[in-house]
Amino acid sequence: MSEKKNRFLNVWDDSVSGRDLLLSLCISTPLTLGGYLLAPAQPPLPLILGLSGAILGFFINALLFRPKRQLQTGEEK
Amino acid sequence: MDPVLLLQMLAAAIIAVIVYTAIGVAPGTDETAVLAPVTLALVVAGIPLPVVLAFFMAAIVAKKLTDSIPVSVAGIPGGVMSAPMVEHALILKREGHATLAIRKMASGSVIGTLVAIPISLFLAFLLTPLADVLGQYASQIFFGGAVFLALMSKEKVISLISIVLLAALIQGLRHLYWGMGVIPEGQTVFISFFLGITIGPMMFNLAQLTVNSERHKMAESEPKQIQIYGNDEKGQLPNPFRILTRQETVSAAASSVLGSVTFFMSPVGITIFLGEVMSSWVKGTVNKASRALSSMDAVTNASYIAGILIPLAALGIPMSPMAIGPGNAFFNAPPVLTLEQNAHHLMSFSEITIASILGAGVALLITYPIAVRYARRICIFVFKHIPHEAFLAMFFSLVMLLAYMDAGVMGILGVMVLALMAGLLNRWGVNYGVQFMTLYAAPWLLGLIA
Repeated sequence: MSEKKNRFLNVWDDSVSGRDLLLSLCISTPLTLGGYLLAPAQPPLPLILGLSGAILGFFINALLFRPKRQLQTGEEK
Repeated sequence: MDPVLLLQMLAAAIIAVIVYTAIGVAPGTDETAVLAPVTLALVVAGIPLPVVLAFFMAAIVAKKLTDSIPVSVAGIPGGVMSAPMVEHALILKREGHATLAIRKMASGSVIGTLVAIPISLFLAFLLTPLADVLGQYASQIFFGGAVFLALMSKEKVISLISIVLLAALIQGLRHLYWGMGVIPEGQTVFISFFLGITIGPMMFNLAQLTVNSERHKMAESEPKQIQIYGNDEKGQLPNPFRILTRQETVSAAASSVLGSVTFFMSPVGITIFLGEVMSSWVKGTVNKASRALSSMDAVTNASYIAGILIPLAALGIPMSPMAIGPGNAFFNAPPVLTLEQNAHHLMSFSEITIASILGAGVALLITYPIAVRYARRICIFVFKHIPHEAFLAMFFSLVMLLAYMDAGVMGILGVMVLALMAGLLNRWGVNYGVQFMTLYAAPWLLGLIA
């Protein structure tokens, strides 16, 4: 009933949308774990590729989704 | 010192400053959750320890400088440590002095850093003879620390009960891994449990989303509102000694010394206490709030720096909330570092000194002028362009990666189970300090009970 009206969820002290959060988890986690698992088995390559996956995921998510929080700006009185 | 290593340290410090300047501004980012996994990954990846330490020091100083930004411009804490400052910052904001708040806080940070590094190294020098004795009783000290922090916290009863419960869960999981043959008998899983506690609150939040009744409580029809007013600074390079009055400089420096000496206590508690004391005899709302803010920011910096440097340089066991939380990787990051053979044993006093000064120095030189001048613009950029989802997903996947490295798919399961429990306890008021100390004391404690 209130599902339509309440489009935002408060997670870890900020507003997110459930759909975008799910999608970003589905983008970041496979990139990170995939980087680790598919890297040549020669340390520290798997870890480095895994970390690169995490950073890549961050940028993809940052570009793909818009922040939900609302900002009001103005001059100081 | 090898010039190549120095260059690597410099590069690491610059990267840390860039990354943590952005993370510091983001609301809700907890120091432990954003620093511990990254430091751990760097140590396990085999990056030289002085480089990691330079990275770490730059990261905390930059993060401490910038997490005051959202407090002063928008009245929301950029991290757990800046939460106590919101009240005073709001007073200045209400009086129309939002930019004054950020200038006072950032300058307090500078004083805190400048005072804490020499004081911590001096204290470390004094405490070094104690290291061998302390090392023998590490488990008992951690247990004592857990009890002490539990008694100092607001929720004493559940904190005390949870010491035994968490210890049971942790040892239970370890024996499960051994019994199933996932981990060779005798080898102790540590990293994934540490991470489980670290992201407990976030995991608990995510798990709540899957529960219908809980999700309804978390739903909002309107997104979080943030207001930013004010202008940016103009003119020449800011000088912290000119921004703070003489009295503010003195109380910030005095607070930093006290914050360094009490390195083994909870930094949030010390910050609130000293902030109130230092501002109690100041008259006038604006002056009072300025004094409180500059002193509090100085203490948080000092207790963080001392909390990592003293155990690192003198003791070799993580005997402070800071060392056992965000800086844990320096003391225990199997298989690279263990409690018996860690950064304390592998780094010389001069390496620790150089890495700390370099890291903190780079962060101060880059972040301080930026924080004072562009506070408003940085805030607007992060709030407008970086979605909260991206932060959540990044930390979630980092933890999954490190847990998988630690104990495979079972490691991931273990993290989930422990994180749910740790997150619930955290919500009930059992702080990170109690939980981390318990993680260290668990084998000894259960050996005692069994």
